[in-house]
Amino acid sequence: MTGAPHTQRTFAERDIVDFVIVGSGAAGGVLAKELATAGFDIVVMEQGPWLQSSQFMHDELAVEQRHDLLNIAEEPYQTFRATETDAPRRNTGLALRYLRGVGGSTVHFAANYWRFRPSDFKERSICGSVPGASLEDWPISYEELEPYYTKVDWEIGVSGAPGPFDPPRSRPYPMPPLPIKSSGVLLERAAHRLGLHAQPAPFAINSQPRDGRSGCMACGHCANYGCEFGAKSSTLVTVVPKAVATGRCEVRTECTVFRVDTNAKGRATGVVYWDRDGRERRQRAHATILAANGVESARLLLMSASSQFPHGLANSSGMVGRNLMFNCYESTFGRFEHPLNEYKGAVAGRIIHDYYEHDPARGFYGGGGIDARFPYNPIGFALSILPPDVPSWGPEYARALREYYAHTVRFTGHITSLPQPTNYVALDWEHTDSRGRPALSLTYADHPDDRKAQYWFQSKTHALMEAAGASKIWNQPIAPSDGSVHLLGTARMGNDPEKSVVDRFHRAHDVPNLFICDGSSLVTSGRGQPTMTIQALAFRAAEHIARFARSHAI
Amino acid sequence: MPDRELLSRRSFLLDAARVAAAGLLIADLQLLVSCARDESSRDAGFAHLTAAEGHTLRAFAAQIIPACDGAPGARESGAAYFVDRAFGMPLYAQSTVLVREGLADLDTRARSELGRRDFATATDAEQIAIMHAIEATPFFMETRKLVIIGTLADPSYGGNRGGAGWSMLSLESRPSFTAPFGWYDAHSAPDSHWRT
Repeated sequence: MTGAPHTQRTFAERDIVDFVIVGSGAAGGVLAKELATAGFDIVVMEQGPWLQSSQFMHDELAVEQRHDLLNIAEEPYQTFRATETDAPRRNTGLALRYLRGVGGSTVHFAANYWRFRPSDFKERSICGSVPGASLEDWPISYEELEPYYTKVDWEIGVSGAPGPFDPPRSRPYPMPPLPIKSSGVLLERAAHRLGLHAQPAPFAINSQPRDGRSGCMACGHCANYGCEFGAKSSTLVTVVPKAVATGRCEVRTECTVFRVDTNAKGRATGVVYWDRDGRERRQRAHATILAANGVESARLLLMSASSQFPHGLANSSGMVGRNLMFNCYESTFGRFEHPLNEYKGAVAGRIIHDYYEHDPARGFYGGGGIDARFPYNPIGFALSILPPDVPSWGPEYARALREYYAHTVRFTGHITSLPQPTNYVALDWEHTDSRGRPALSLTYADHPDDRKAQYWFQSKTHALMEAAGASKIWNQPIAPSDGSVHLLGTARMGNDPEKSVVDRFHRAHDVPNLFICDGSSLVTSGRGQPTMTIQALAFRAAEHIARFARSHAI
Repeated sequence: MPDRELLSRRSFLLDAARVAAAGLLIADLQLLVSCARDESSRDAGFAHLTAAEGHTLRAFAAQIIPACDGAPGARESGAAYFVDRAFGMPLYAQSTVLVREGLADLDTRARSELGRRDFATATDAEQIAIMHAIEATPFFMETRKLVIIGTLADPSYGGNRGGAGWSMLSLESRPSFTAPFGWYDAHSAPDSHWRT
């Protein structure tokens, strides 16, 4: 079954709904629930299917080799080049990676839910200008966003406990943290020895039954998998069913939006899409909200170019698709004497945030958080994770498979990526899918400071691994970024219409009844766990959009 | 049934018995025995591979992940049956010709370079030497990958018989777990000196 699992309100093609929302993921699900609850009629357009928790399985071949959940069959391949002078090379549809389906990538994410901190919103003021980068302060502050982080905690469902460096919070976590794992014990030990502070990792996973959903069963299949217990707080099992239950929201699945229509007055009139039978159809709406993710929303704006908007819709700044940020990371692996069995439980148990803030003494822009994780199932582990001095086949390889799988963990630094206008997604009309949708072409080169931050953090995770007492330590080689699951910054928020795409309420500077709210809105990258902030922005945007609609200010 | 396989199966069972005597659970022994028995009874059970190809592929698989210390390797886990199945899967079907030609090439090399009947009847050392000579080829890399996937993918895909590949990794295949998960969290009191 891939259609709506519940009876839902449906709207006719002739209906002009209040809002059409493109995307049912992290932000789209929140916007749909908030606006439908506020009394508005909503159609959510979702290009993928509507799966149910009972359909999710622990099948590594299907999920991690065949990528069944991503639904990329229709997607043309992507192209990649580091700079505009390089020849583009062909990438698979996995380079810019996201799940097409109800719930979006919240279905298969690892659910790390770190809040940004006050400093994240004003790093231009703190760090000054960085050559080559478009580092800017956000048009909003942590204090303005805090109530909505708390909404995410309580309405999405986050488990955790406060740590020594956490930003102020107006309400405690609704659930205690998930149980500590062996990796967490080792990270705590290492942190203690080095004078650092390990704290429980916050997760959008129920640590106990809550909100009609199960507590975590510690099956170990969070990252890349859907949660068959419904314990992971994806929008598929949290806000989307609540949006539908209002009787004012239709989630229209397997429908791919390819244009936002505008009228002579320069206002959005709705979206044009291919339905599941490939027929071109329209959904008209008083206002249009894009929440399709950091590359899909940008692609849609660029595909919506017209004589009135020759460079793409909402793109008078030229910033649509630009300032793409991935979040750099690095990893140090370690093998320990006793089994850790990291394949059980959520992806991480403890994190270290001592290095979160930018520190000019390091000599580069950036900061990050460190966690202990081993997100590898048997095939992925056996194909790529053993130390470089282990042969790739034969008796030593077989012995290593036996000795490493249950005994290995990775300490990972989750790091900033600088926004750069030269990092962007654009349309590749030479390569289209079967219906004529252009491929995404990616131009991306890490900033020199991103690279310095990776090496700096690798020295820290290496030292932590030594302090934890690993018997064997090896680094994951640091390589230039050429894709990611974090797709940020391509329609950035800002007060200046010449340098940003949306205003502080996510309204497009150029189109008064068009809103864009998802990873594309982020002005800076944070430290590697963006979904919590994307959803806080969505809760906040929904409140303001509802206010505008009620006061006829859209 | 070639002598080499009989021998290897016999020594495998002896290994298994030795490990069992050293304290392995009887259930594990039964798993090992059933793996070995499956191996002998399924010679004609291929959908895509010829018997000769299957014969060569099993020998290749046994060199990628050899059975050792009484635990099954890729051959005993039935990786060849996965590869056979993979030829019919859209995800891997494009590898069929590459793998087939490479398996035939292994036999050719064993015959022309060593005078053996085929790759599987070459000695261990001879097989390893041939494999080292081709380990940078697309055939080797792709077939190695398929053998490893076959050993560790869900048993419903034909390999990883009885979860033998997962047992090799000391992975318990269960739908859910409860803490403690590993040695360190089991042996860490909440008030340990390093706990914050």
